[in-house]
Amino acid sequence: MKRIFDTQLIGPFAAMVIVALIVALTTERFLNPGNLSNLSLQVSIVALIAIGSTMVIFTAGIDLSSGSMVALLTMILAQMLKFMGIPLMLALPMILIVGGLLGLFIGLITAYGRIPSFITTLAALIAFRGLALTFNNGSPIFSLDPALEPIFYGKLAGIPLPFFYLVFFYGLAAFVMNFTKLGREIYAVGGNPAAAVLTGINVRKVQTTTFVIAGFMTAVGAILMSARLNSGSPNYGQTLELQAIAAAVVGGASLAGGRGNILATLMGAMTIVIVQNGLNLNAAPSSVQNIVLGLIILLAVGIDMWRAEISALMGRIFGRSSSGSAQKVKKGV
Amino acid sequence: MTTATPLWEFVDISKAYPGVLANDKVRIKLLPGSIHGLLGENGCGKSTMIKTLSGVQQPDSGQILHNGQPVTISDPQVARDHGIATVFQEFSIVPTLSVGENIFLGNMPRSRFGVIDWAKVHSEAARVLAEMDVDVSPDAITGTLSVGEQQLVEIAKAVAMDARMIILDEPTAALGEDEIERLHQLLRNMRGRGTSILYVSHRLDEVERIVDEVTILRGGKVVRASGETEINVSEIVSAMVGEDIGEHYPKEQNATAEVVMEAHGLATASGVTDASFALHRGEVLGLGGVLGSGRTEIARALFGTDELSAGQLILNGKPVRFRREMDAIRAGLALVPENRKYDGLFFNFRASGNITAASLGGLSRLGVLNLKAEEQATHDLIRDLEISTQAEEKTVNFLSGGNQQKIVIARWLFSDSDILILDEPTQGIDIGAKIAVYKLINKLTRAGKSIILISSDHDELLAMSDRIAIVQHGAITRTVEASDLTHDDLVRASADTTETNLEEVFA
Repeated sequence: MKRIFDTQLIGPFAAMVIVALIVALTTERFLNPGNLSNLSLQVSIVALIAIGSTMVIFTAGIDLSSGSMVALLTMILAQMLKFMGIPLMLALPMILIVGGLLGLFIGLITAYGRIPSFITTLAALIAFRGLALTFNNGSPIFSLDPALEPIFYGKLAGIPLPFFYLVFFYGLAAFVMNFTKLGREIYAVGGNPAAAVLTGINVRKVQTTTFVIAGFMTAVGAILMSARLNSGSPNYGQTLELQAIAAAVVGGASLAGGRGNILATLMGAMTIVIVQNGLNLNAAPSSVQNIVLGLIILLAVGIDMWRAEISALMGRIFGRSSSGSAQKVKKGV
Repeated sequence: MTTATPLWEFVDISKAYPGVLANDKVRIKLLPGSIHGLLGENGCGKSTMIKTLSGVQQPDSGQILHNGQPVTISDPQVARDHGIATVFQEFSIVPTLSVGENIFLGNMPRSRFGVIDWAKVHSEAARVLAEMDVDVSPDAITGTLSVGEQQLVEIAKAVAMDARMIILDEPTAALGEDEIERLHQLLRNMRGRGTSILYVSHRLDEVERIVDEVTILRGGKVVRASGETEINVSEIVSAMVGEDIGEHYPKEQNATAEVVMEAHGLATASGVTDASFALHRGEVLGLGGVLGSGRTEIARALFGTDELSAGQLILNGKPVRFRREMDAIRAGLALVPENRKYDGLFFNFRASGNITAASLGGLSRLGVLNLKAEEQATHDLIRDLEISTQAEEKTVNFLSGGNQQKIVIARWLFSDSDILILDEPTQGIDIGAKIAVYKLINKLTRAGKSIILISSDHDELLAMSDRIAIVQHGAITRTVEASDLTHDDLVRASADTTETNLEEVFA
């Protein structure tokens, strides 16, 4: 347990709480039960996709493809349900498999074709969006299946279902990262790929696996997106890949690989959504929301980079304190 | 010599970091036209001194005198203005730029309009290189040169700025025997022109060869100052370590008659041409040869990194073929690579993650790791190998080079490998840690494991090996008992000689 809830979570958790407090104090409706359950709906799609994005980042890669892949998968799902007559219970697992296969495809080209993931996933970002437009002459497909919407809007014991998806998938992801061989290998590949090769870790297989996971989680996000709007559209998921990366980065994942905590990504996603929610409730225009989001990313990474200086400053202000340096020391797995 | 006015003089320089007094009233005189050796174990305060002298940091107290006048070296630019050039251990060369560009980096000659005067860059660089007697084109891309040549380019930067004093931090760490000789010749020439040189090194054999005076630091204090007595290696060692270390090379004879690995005519595309040898249980087989002779490539061939284009490897009587490192590891081989920072350690892991990295399969069941077993094994290895206990809590980037190296070796103890290939296992670690590595080698061979040792430190190779295979141009030309070789034999045998000369050596 010590491993999952380590000091890497303190910063992102504190950031989330502080942001929530500020929004709660300045916005009356924030703490309404309705608004809180709305929050878990809002965060769910980006947070689920961010699981894969974060694992790719842990191996020192990057996944830019998820937003477009969401659009493509919603169109494929819509096509299956609306025009091909495939039942929902069959279409959903098929979408998950297609997502995993698209991830496998990207992963194989990246790892075995030795093309940087920035390039392969940038190509996928562009191509998947184009591919999505080839369905239904590029028009959205609406009113897919009445049984689809409850997947997103349904509740269990008064709690929205997406909350349970988050608990399940983040629980699983935290288990994988902290207690399994695969998780350790992901950190090892990101930490030092040359050393990983010499210790007999199959670096390419590990890299490919993270893209398969990313593709699968993107498919989960795509299903929720379709369920939320009961439709498929080639325009869905714009910039979703960047929001997922932002969640990982705000959660403290290092783009250089090897460092970070998967649960911190959830907190990063929460922080971003809470800020957006607060601005929404105060009727801030979307221009302001984007500017604030940009500043949050900068601030989150800045605080991480300047940690030593900040703790030294805190030490000078509040007397001797070694918590900052201890935090840095304990970052390892 | 002591009567001349020192070019630079350190008077009672002290510098404290939180918790450590890194320099404690250090006094050093650097004379013009003299090569001054600065020695000491890791953490003795050498780096602190270099940083102070090159203006990277300020001393807490004390005075720096330049030609007898007190000066303040407030930043690196001031140091440069005073004619001090520092060649740091990690090169500050941009590999993608040309030699000329690197030499004048940050100080490019410009024409009237502020545009870089390329003709002058070329001619001035050519002049400096010619002056140094270095046969490298100013237009060559620096990254394509050998490490030794890059080191010379680094020094050319110092020459180009007319440095009156050059600080060299471990200048030979990455150089072969020929290149070291070339560097030393260059330094002697510079000394002849009155340049003052501060030479920091771990390699004691070099110190005897090149240094005029020596200062030894221990625990931030000067324990032996310039010109007191003749320079003598064993005295230096005991002064550095602070005690009589007794046997510098505690070699144990553990070799048995049983052959565990045989190589027959191995060749690879990366430069191994003909490597044959037999390795016995409990034996240390040394690979001797100059840098670039193919020793590391032989290691790569054995470990499955490079594919064999010819030859046969036999393990415990059975022919084997390794397609990847994983195959070799499963067969019980281990490689401790030459550069632990580059491809040995996971700096994002604590000791535990580093130690178990090669054994994750055995440590897990259905893909789930046994973390308790990992912690216990790490704890035991840290105790047995006398690794700093900080390694249990801290990531390995916080550890000293010696501790880091022990952790890389511990990885293969944990994986229970039978054959360990150690490529330069003591490079860049201090004497105390070196002896710990030697003891570890004994421990391994005592347990019936076999070792292939690659080392550029000839004394170490001779003392720790049972037999030595001489490697030249990717081929093992001869395998001899280590006790039949002297230091000079080894230097000559591994140098670029013909077969007939070799016969003489071993006659």
